Amino acid sequence: MSNTINDTAIMAALGRQMTRAVARESVASSNLANIDTPGYHTRDVSFDDALTSQLQAATSGASGIAPGSSSAQEAPKVTETEGLAERRDGNNVQLDRELLNLTRASGDFSAAQAVLSAKFRLVRYAINDGR
Amino acid sequence: MSSMWSAINASASGLDAQRARMEVAASNLANADSVHGPNNQPYRRREVMLESSDPDGFGATLTRASGSGVEAAGVKVTDVVEDQSPFGRRYEPSSPDADSDGYVATPNVSVPEEMVDMLGAARAYQANLAAIGVVKDTIQKALDLAK
Repeated sequence: MSNTINDTAIMAALGRQMTRAVARESVASSNLANIDTPGYHTRDVSFDDALTSQLQAATSGASGIAPGSSSAQEAPKVTETEGLAERRDGNNVQLDRELLNLTRASGDFSAAQAVLSAKFRLVRYAINDGR
Repeated sequence: MSSMWSAINASASGLDAQRARMEVAASNLANADSVHGPNNQPYRRREVMLESSDPDGFGATLTRASGSGVEAAGVKVTDVVEDQSPFGRRYEPSSPDADSDGYVATPNVSVPEEMVDMLGAARAYQANLAAIGVVKDTIQKALDLAK
């Protein structure tokens, strides 16, 4: 009773973290590709809706944040980033910022991947009778 | 998965665009002293026009319709235009191209400007290459899950 988070839910959550990391990498790549496009504005991807609905579910009586619930499958939202200084050609892509985002997303992906592959190893260990 | 490839495609389009910029800058530099072109005019500096392009095709449409991922926007070279700023003038009465006052019209190319442009393009090319490397590593890591 104390722990409602099961293996399947954890794996689903890890999968979602990887999907999100890839979405962030995609957006950073497209910002980098458009670093010299006049009038292009930096884009960011956000998953706030997913978090909000999760928190609502958590506060409305459900026991803790369930990583497996389907409401977490919200579509990512791509928005233009506010508050970056624009260059004279109307472009506000910053090389270091995008490379940092790219590296950060890649690190998040690696973390989720490492945990997921450890989980898979455990399952394989169990299937093979500990051999 | 499709959005991983779309990220690589976007970076590849960035490589393409930056290479075009470098080629145009090289051609401008090469012709910095070409006072006599095929139309009897000095060489006019060329410039690359870039435009952001949202991806199309089956994969992008499917991703948009299902709202399941992010399609990366690439960049494309829409045009290479001639810079219409005025030509320079150099006093050289002995030249066959000199006008009645002894001045020769010179290309509107500024060498330092082209060098800076080229350097910017080279750096942006490297950034796109780095992005491809990161996404490629990510795909490899995803495949490693199946090991």
